[in-house]
Amino acid sequence: MIYLYVEQIFVYISFLILFLVTLLNLINFFFEIDKINHFSNNGMKFAFLCTTGFLTTRFFQTQHLPLGNLYESLMFLSWGFSFLYLISNVKNKKRLSAPVLATSALLVHAFAVLSLPHKMRESMSLVPALQSQWLMMHVSTTLISYATLLFGSLLAIVLLSIFHGEIKRYCVGNLTNNFEFRNKNYPLISKNFPKQIITESFSYSLFLNSRKCQLIHLLDKWTYQAISLGFSFLTIGIISGAVWANEAWGSYWSWDPKETWALITWLIYAIYLHIRINKKWMGKGSAMAASMGFFLVWICFLGVNLLGVGLHNYGWLI
Amino acid sequence: MNTIQHLSTEAPSVLGGHRLLKSSSCSYFVTTAHGFLLARRMLSGISQPEKYRRILVNSYNRKQSNSSNTTVKTSTKLPSVDHLTPSDAPSVSNAEGREDAASSSQWKERKDDGVDVRAGFSSGKDKKPALLTDSFEYFAFLRRLKRTAEKLLSSFPLAIAELAIIGALCAVGTLIEQGQSREFYLQKYSEDWAFGLFNGEWVLNLCLDHVYTAPYFLGLLALLAASLIACTSSRQIPLVKIARRWRFVNSGASISKLDFHETLPHARLADLAVLLAGDKYQVFMRGPSLYAFKGLAGRFAPIGVHAALLLIMGGATYSAIGGYHGTIMVPQGLNFMVGEAMYPAGFLSQPPDSFDTEVHINKFTIETYPNGEVSQFRTDLSLFNLRGQEVSRKVISVNDPLRYGGFTMYQTDWGISTIQIHVDGEGPFNLVAAPLQTGDNKLFGTFLPIGDNGLAGAKGISMLARDLQSVVIYDSNGAFAGVRRSGSEKPITVDGVTIIIDDIIGSTGLEMKLDPGVPIVYAGFAALMLTTVLSYLCHLQVWALQVDDSLVVGAKSNRNRAEFAEDLGKLLNFVPEIVRDRSMENIAPIISSTNEELSMQGTSAKMDNESSRS
Repeated sequence: MIYLYVEQIFVYISFLILFLVTLLNLINFFFEIDKINHFSNNGMKFAFLCTTGFLTTRFFQTQHLPLGNLYESLMFLSWGFSFLYLISNVKNKKRLSAPVLATSALLVHAFAVLSLPHKMRESMSLVPALQSQWLMMHVSTTLISYATLLFGSLLAIVLLSIFHGEIKRYCVGNLTNNFEFRNKNYPLISKNFPKQIITESFSYSLFLNSRKCQLIHLLDKWTYQAISLGFSFLTIGIISGAVWANEAWGSYWSWDPKETWALITWLIYAIYLHIRINKKWMGKGSAMAASMGFFLVWICFLGVNLLGVGLHNYGWLI
Repeated sequence: MNTIQHLSTEAPSVLGGHRLLKSSSCSYFVTTAHGFLLARRMLSGISQPEKYRRILVNSYNRKQSNSSNTTVKTSTKLPSVDHLTPSDAPSVSNAEGREDAASSSQWKERKDDGVDVRAGFSSGKDKKPALLTDSFEYFAFLRRLKRTAEKLLSSFPLAIAELAIIGALCAVGTLIEQGQSREFYLQKYSEDWAFGLFNGEWVLNLCLDHVYTAPYFLGLLALLAASLIACTSSRQIPLVKIARRWRFVNSGASISKLDFHETLPHARLADLAVLLAGDKYQVFMRGPSLYAFKGLAGRFAPIGVHAALLLIMGGATYSAIGGYHGTIMVPQGLNFMVGEAMYPAGFLSQPPDSFDTEVHINKFTIETYPNGEVSQFRTDLSLFNLRGQEVSRKVISVNDPLRYGGFTMYQTDWGISTIQIHVDGEGPFNLVAAPLQTGDNKLFGTFLPIGDNGLAGAKGISMLARDLQSVVIYDSNGAFAGVRRSGSEKPITVDGVTIIIDDIIGSTGLEMKLDPGVPIVYAGFAALMLTTVLSYLCHLQVWALQVDDSLVVGAKSNRNRAEFAEDLGKLLNFVPEIVRDRSMENIAPIISSTNEELSMQGTSAKMDNESSRS
């Protein structure tokens, strides 16, 4: 019983703090006050510690990683978002990602705490199929990949929504590889020469260092980095799930809805990575692919549970 | 353009290789080899492969161009064409580089001789020698066909479209329930969805009830595999070849054309080399020029990703057409032959000898948690060979299968086979239990007839069981009579009959698989995990040329260019600038100071240059 109280304390405290941090970040995003920055960073550290405390308590209570049902998975996802917040705090100075990550952590946490019925929040003993060492690796990597992919896709949505018509003009690719075409040895020359000439014109060079251009560039860069990290994790997650399935039930791929949607998510992010290489579709096309990925990840994570069929129906909402 | 360049660097290795030219006796050898090939062609008149023909034509062309361009050193075109490139990459010292240059001139003479001899055959540049037969055209046609196919299949929009359509079809497969009976679809989609355009008939006709094995889906997967192969062979491998050739650039103009370039006044090449080597680059220097690279794995890894995907698809195909699988529900205490329960999956399936094993179920148990939920299913199995010896014994559970002789046995299901009872002191009787509900909440029932009403009007006692622990008993009218735990030996009297429940005997559901493609698929998985992570490495290349007193530096990377530019800029800041102080030349000829110090004094125009570029 003591476990229950401790968990609840952790959960509610972290919820409050996340709420405050999100508010502070949103205010900071518009008004750039330094003290708020300081407060929100420390607040997020504290919230991260509280969520970690919750997960650790669950671990001690049940003797397995706290990933058995939907409630625990959502808390793990929120933990992942706050972890990403702390990492991005270290890495870059321009804090574009802070409001996004804080809001995501808060919303996921709120969903877990406020909307799930109490019965689902209890720690359940694992069904036989989940009693395996693979549980740790497969579920944790997949959840971390969801967190990073969602982060990257949110940034792409931000990019699209703010700079809807203007990405082509400040086209991200042309910032840095203007001269590569002339040196290319291969016969597969793209058909982009007219655009090259336009973008090297005088007016373009005026905008090279403008804030808008830098912002687009940064958003694109962060989207790429987040999604590429998430893509590696997703690959590892899917593959470890397949290997686990083969060891436990004899078939590494059985077109289970969750498996299939994970594959579809993998495909859309592969499309994103490939569009990013193409000179013509770079910029806007890749942002659209990443934005679609946002919805696919949510369908993969929550939507298939609503169907209620297949091997993955551990977290029914209904 | 691609082919000429490709062959011009392959030519030395085809006819003997660069290594041969290093010794003094090599010239004799090369002449012999060359002469031998020519003689063979003359005498036997057999058709030579087209590659050789094109080498002849190309070297003839080169002779023409070389004789006219001997004085032109720098090229206006691409850096790689007019400079000799050694075909093996690492660690060539300056001495060896000079030797290569010397031997390459030898090579040029050799070729001139060859061309003179050959001039007798070919009267013009592009005219085919008279000895060509039809097989040339056959090879030429095949080559053209391969090239067209590659071009079509590796087209970028096609690849994106394939991925997207496969994704969409997968999604459709999750929305429509797969693998059900015909009536299920006709009934479920009987209403007029989408104004009568979509109903159960459509589902069945479009094979939407088994999307993942439908012919169009498999065809799309095959097309994706073909695209992967085409892309790898036509785009990625040439890129790797070009990236691997380290080439020294001899003109500052070509360096200036790279997207990142700098000119460092009063700098030395050796300083830059040391700095780069300290930053984990592999540095090569030849004379006044330098080439350094880092992260070559970043060029190979995308090829590895495609290769891993092809491995996975190949392995999965092999599993699908060459495996065995079977499911069986065996009551505790009975046996079965492995071979009888297995069905081949495709036409490549070959039964191994281990299929002649007999499996005996010793015991089947269900373990529960204190709150009553199932914690684990365990089956104690013994395997016997044809001579009756026990070859294997294991207790399997859900995540712990039995592997023997190539096949694997998994615990996947369970059931109740019989309920053993004593009736009025007599027995034990085994009543066979039938499944009333399957799926997650199983329900089994059995029936003990009372009286002699015959089959038609049989009345009796019903017993229902949900697990192996307790039985619920109903009398002949269907009224609830009581619950008994198995093995409790408490009798119950229903309709005048005394029943003691002895035991509930379970049956274990086993699934057996023989999957030959699994090792291939696992290898593909491992490769995919590794190469996906590796392909985020940047392949960075730096060229530098010492032009009089200053250093021209250029760089290229295949990913993440902006950060690379910053990092390289920071590295270049550390290259010391040599300042010659004439008045103090006797005492201290060279005073070095870093560019950072100079910039702080505000004297260097280089800083302005840098800031406008970054």
